[in-house]
Amino acid sequence: MIWAGGVDVGSTQTKAVVINERRRIAGRALIATGGDVVAAAERAFELALEGAGVPRSRVAGVIGTGYGRYKVEFGDTQVTEIACHARGAAEMFPGTRTVLDMGGQDTKAIRVREDGDVLDFCMNDKCSAGTGRFLQSAARALDLELDDLGPTALRGRRPVEISTTCTVFAESEVLSWLARGRTIEDILLGVHRAIAKRSFALLRRVGIEDQITFTGGVARNGAMVAVMNEVLETEVNVSEASHFMGALGAALFALERTGDDTVQAVAAGEEEA
Amino acid sequence: MKMPTPPAPSSALEDDFDPLLELNFDAGLEPLMLELREVVQDPDLPTVQRWRDRGGRVLAHFQVYFPEELAHAAGMLPVKVRGSRIERREADSLFGSALCSILRSSLELALTDRLVPDLFVTHPICDAARNLAGIWSRNLEAPAEILFFPQNPNSRHSHTWLTGEYRRILGHIEEVAGRRVDDDALRHSIHLFNENRRLLREVYAIKRETPWLLPVDDAYVLVATAGLLPREEHNALLRRLLPLIRRRERKPKDRMRVVFEGGFCEQPPLDLLAAIAEFVDVVDDDLLIGLRWILEDVDPGSDPVAGLAEAYLERSSYSPVQHDLRKPKEEMLLARIEASRAEAAIVAAAKMCEPGLDEQVAYAQALDRAGIPYFLSEFEEEMQGYDHLQVQLETFVENILFQ
Amino acid sequence: MAKTVSEDELVGRGAREGRRLFDAWYAELTDAAERGVPAAYVFVMGSLVELLRVFDLPVVFPEINSLQTAVRKVSDGYLSEAEDHGFSPDVCGYVKADYALQLRGGEHPRGRIPPPAIAVLTNACNTYIKWAEIWERLHDIPVATIDVPMTRGSTRYPLVKSSTADDDRDRRYIRGQLEELIELLESVTGRPFDEDRLRDTLRWTNEMGHAYRRVLELNRSRPAVFDAVMEGTIFLGVANAHRGTEAGARYFQELVEEMEHRVERGISALGEATEERYRLAFVGVPCYPIFSDFQRLFSDWGGVFVGSSYLWFASGGLNLEHEYDLEHPLDALADGVLAGVRMATDSMIFQDDALLRSIEEYGLDGVVYHPVKSCRTVSTGLASSRKRILEESDALALYIESDMMDPRVVSVAQLKNRIDAFFEGLDSRKVRLDAVEATVGGAS
Repeated sequence: MIWAGGVDVGSTQTKAVVINERRRIAGRALIATGGDVVAAAERAFELALEGAGVPRSRVAGVIGTGYGRYKVEFGDTQVTEIACHARGAAEMFPGTRTVLDMGGQDTKAIRVREDGDVLDFCMNDKCSAGTGRFLQSAARALDLELDDLGPTALRGRRPVEISTTCTVFAESEVLSWLARGRTIEDILLGVHRAIAKRSFALLRRVGIEDQITFTGGVARNGAMVAVMNEVLETEVNVSEASHFMGALGAALFALERTGDDTVQAVAAGEEEA
Repeated sequence: MKMPTPPAPSSALEDDFDPLLELNFDAGLEPLMLELREVVQDPDLPTVQRWRDRGGRVLAHFQVYFPEELAHAAGMLPVKVRGSRIERREADSLFGSALCSILRSSLELALTDRLVPDLFVTHPICDAARNLAGIWSRNLEAPAEILFFPQNPNSRHSHTWLTGEYRRILGHIEEVAGRRVDDDALRHSIHLFNENRRLLREVYAIKRETPWLLPVDDAYVLVATAGLLPREEHNALLRRLLPLIRRRERKPKDRMRVVFEGGFCEQPPLDLLAAIAEFVDVVDDDLLIGLRWILEDVDPGSDPVAGLAEAYLERSSYSPVQHDLRKPKEEMLLARIEASRAEAAIVAAAKMCEPGLDEQVAYAQALDRAGIPYFLSEFEEEMQGYDHLQVQLETFVENILFQ
Repeated sequence: MAKTVSEDELVGRGAREGRRLFDAWYAELTDAAERGVPAAYVFVMGSLVELLRVFDLPVVFPEINSLQTAVRKVSDGYLSEAEDHGFSPDVCGYVKADYALQLRGGEHPRGRIPPPAIAVLTNACNTYIKWAEIWERLHDIPVATIDVPMTRGSTRYPLVKSSTADDDRDRRYIRGQLEELIELLESVTGRPFDEDRLRDTLRWTNEMGHAYRRVLELNRSRPAVFDAVMEGTIFLGVANAHRGTEAGARYFQELVEEMEHRVERGISALGEATEERYRLAFVGVPCYPIFSDFQRLFSDWGGVFVGSSYLWFASGGLNLEHEYDLEHPLDALADGVLAGVRMATDSMIFQDDALLRSIEEYGLDGVVYHPVKSCRTVSTGLASSRKRILEESDALALYIESDMMDPRVVSVAQLKNRIDAFFEGLDSRKVRLDAVEATVGGAS
C-alpha cells in the first residue's frame, strides 16, 4: 500500500491529511499554527500519521500547502492552496466546476476543470474584508464564541444591512446596530449576508458554473452556507471535511507524483530490459 | 389597443405634456414631498421606465455636467446617472478595489436593466470615471461616448473647440434619436432649461433665506427630480410646489448656518442629509451641482450650440473636477460661504474619491486660514446608520456655540 | 557606431548605460537646485520636453522622483508626512510623496530637486491636474494645462493614429494652446522661441522613437532578450529624461545594437541559469516598493515579461509609428502630443485589442494585470479588460492588486501565493497541451 500526505499550514490553523492509494483519507489532524510554524507542520503531520496508524517511512510523498508551505521542511515540494483546494474539492465532489474557499485571511474563487485543474482564480484584495476575519471581529464585538455565530445568525429574521466588510469597522458597525435596538441574531445574519455578497462578486469574476463547492474553515458555519445558497440561488456542496480540503488536495498531488514516479520507474525498467 | 405615445415634440408648448408622474396636488405639500422622495430613491427609475414605455429614447449621462438641452431638443429624455443605493450583484466583479461606489452602482443599474439608455455619455471627470466608456462598451449594448470638457478653459481656443465637441455629440444624439435638431428646436430647449435654472435658483434662495422652510434633504429631492423628468414637467412641478413651500407652517429656528461641500459626484444618502438637517441649517451646497452648473441664462442667440459652450466656460459654478485658473476651488468655497452667510462648513468627500479627497486638503487649509470652523467627513452612498456622524456633528456644533 | 565592442561590453550595456544616464540627469537637477535655477515640472504622459528644452529649462518629472523614493525604500516616510498634512491614505502616492518632497525643500534620495518656475501638463491623467493645483498653491507659479482630447468613441480603439474631422479639430485646438504656452514660456524665461531648436529636439525624438520601437519588436524573439518590467523600466527612465536629446537618441540606437546581438546569439533576458518557460505581458504600473523582488517572483518560475503596457502609455508615444514632420515643427508637436496622449489613455482605457494582438505577435502564455490602489487612471478598467482577454484568447490572466508606492499595502507573501498559483495553472495547462500534442503526433 502506498500512502501520501498533505500539510496545509494556514495563518491560524495547520491541517494535515494522510491518504491511501485509493485516495481515501486515512488520518487527519488540525492544530493551532502558533508561533513556530515548522513545529506546527511537523506536529500536525505526526498526529495525522498516528490517526492513520501509518509509520512515516511508509509515506511515499508529502506536499506542503498554505501560507507556511515552505516551512513544511519534511515535504517533497510545495503547491499553493489554490490548486490544492481545487483538487480536494473536485475529489470530494466530482461535479465541481467552481470552488469558493473561505478562510481566516483569504477568500478565493476558483474555476476548475473536471480533473480539478485550476482554470482561473481570484482572491480578495490585500485587506481581509469579506473573509473569516470579519466574522471574528463581529464575534469579538458581540462577545460570542466563533462557533456560536452560525447558529445565532440562523435564528435571525430581518437581517440588518451591513455596509462595510472592512474588519476595522466591523466592531463599530455591529455596536451601532445594537445601539439601535436590533437583535444579535439579525445583526449576525446581516454580517453573514455582507460577506456572502462580497464573495459573490469574487465568484462572478471567475465565472460561476455549477456545481459550486464551498471549502475552508468558514464553510463549517451553517449560516454562511445558508446565505451563500441564497445569494447564489443554488445549493453549494459542503463536505464535513471542508477545512481539510487544502491538505487533501496536497496529499492527492503527492500521491499522483509518486504515481508518476512509479510509472516512470517501470517504463525505465522495461527499457533497460 | 394602447398605442405608445410619442415623446413630446420639442416645439410643444411647455404646458402641453403628458406627465410621467401623476401627483395629487390636492393632498397638500407633505404627502407630495414624501412621494417625490420615493421617486428619487427608487432604483428602478420609474419615470424613466414610463418614458421608455411610451416609446421615448433615453440619454443617460454620468456625473457631473451634461448640456441636457442637446438631448432634449432631439426629443430624448436626459437622465442624470448618479448611482443608487442598491444591492450589487453584477458590477462588482468588473471593478477592482479602492474605487468609489457610484461607479459600481451606476453600472449595476444598467447591467440589471433598471437603466436602459439608448446612449450613454460619460466625461473624463476623474481617473476612475474616464475608464467608464471602456467598461460600459465592453459590457453593454448601448453605445457609450465620452464628452470631453476643457480642463484649459483659460485658453482663447477652448470655446471654439467645445462648440465643436458639442456638435460632435449632437451628431451622435441625432443618430440615436433618429431626427435632426435645428437651431430653433435647440433655442426652445434652452429657454425651457433657462426657466428650470431660474426655478432651481429659487429653491436655493428659499433654503438660504428661510432654511427652516426647506431643509437640505427636501431641497435635494426637488433638484434630483430634474434629473428624472422632462424639464417641461419639472418646471411645472416646481411652479406648483415652491409657493406651497413658502407657505409651509414651520417656525424659524435659530440654528447654525453651514455650507455642505463634497456632493458634486457621488451622492450622500438622503437620510444622511436628513440627519445633518436635524442639527444645522444647510444654507448652500454643491449637491448635484451639475444640474445647477450654469449660473445664469444661456444665450440662445444666433448660434445656440456656441451659447451652451460659452455658458459652460463663462457662467458656471465650480467643482473639484474642473480646472480653471480663474476659479481656485478654495476661494470659491470661501465665496460660497460668504454669499450664503454661513458660519461653518461640512467638508465631505466620498470614500475613494480622489479629486474630492485631494480638495479636502486645500479646503481645510483655506478654512483654517480664514478662521471658519469646519467639519471633515467621508461618506459612501451605500452607508448605513448615521449615529456616529450625528454625535460628531453635534459635538462640533456645541464646540462652536460654547466658544 | 562603427567602433567594435566586445561581447562582454555589449551584453548588459543598455542597463548599465541607462543607469549612468539616469544618475547624470539627477546630478544635473541637483546642480540646478544648488545654483537656484528653477525648473519646469512636467509629467511622463504628454511631457512636451522638446519645447521646454528650446527654453533651456531643466525638466523635472515628479512622477519619477516619487517612484524613486519607493525604489530607494524611503517612500513610507514621504507618504506619512503628506498624510499628516491631511492627505487621505486612498489618494495617489505619487502626489503625496511629491507634496512631502516640496515641504522638505526638494530633498530626495537621489539628490535635490529644484523648485518649479512653471508647470506644464496635459489631461493624460486627471490627477496631474489636481497635482498642479497643489504647486500653484505652494509655489504660486504659472500652470499651463494643455487639453488633449482623448478617444471619445465606444468603438474599440485600435491604437493607431486616425485622421477624422474631429482629429483635425483636436489638432488645431492643441496647436492654439501650444502657441499660448510659447508666449508663457517666453515671459517666464525671458527668451524668444526658436523654431530651429525645436526642429532639432524633435529630430532627436524621431530617432529615439525609431530605435525604441525596434527594441520592443526585438522581444518577439525566443527567448526574450529583455524583461519588459525590469530592464524595460530602466529604458523608460532614459526615454523620458533624455527625450529630445542626442544622448537619448544614441542610447536607444546602441540599445538596438545590443538587443540585435542578443537575438542573434539567443541570449535570454533570464540569464543562462534559468530557462524561459512562460512568456508574459504586464499590464499596469510596476510595484516599485519591491521592484526587483517582484520580477523574481516571476523569473523563478521561468516567466519573463516580454511586453508591458507601461512601455506603451509611459513612453510619450515612442511606441507609435509616428514621426514628427520636421518641415512644420509646431504642427508636428501638436500632432505628436495628440497621438502620444491619446495612445497613453487608450492603452489604459481601451487596451484589450492591443493586448490580444500582442498575445499573437509575441507568443504570450499569460497576461499579468497589476492594478494598484493609488492609481485609478491605470487600474479602474483592468478587471473588465481581464475578463475580455480570458474570453477571447487562450492566455491565462492573473489579477494581483498592490501599490506602486506604498509598502504598507504590498504583501509579498500574498503576492507570491497568487503568482505561484498562476504558474501552477500554466504548468498544468502545459502538461495537458503537451499530452494532446503527443497524442496528435503519435496518431500522424
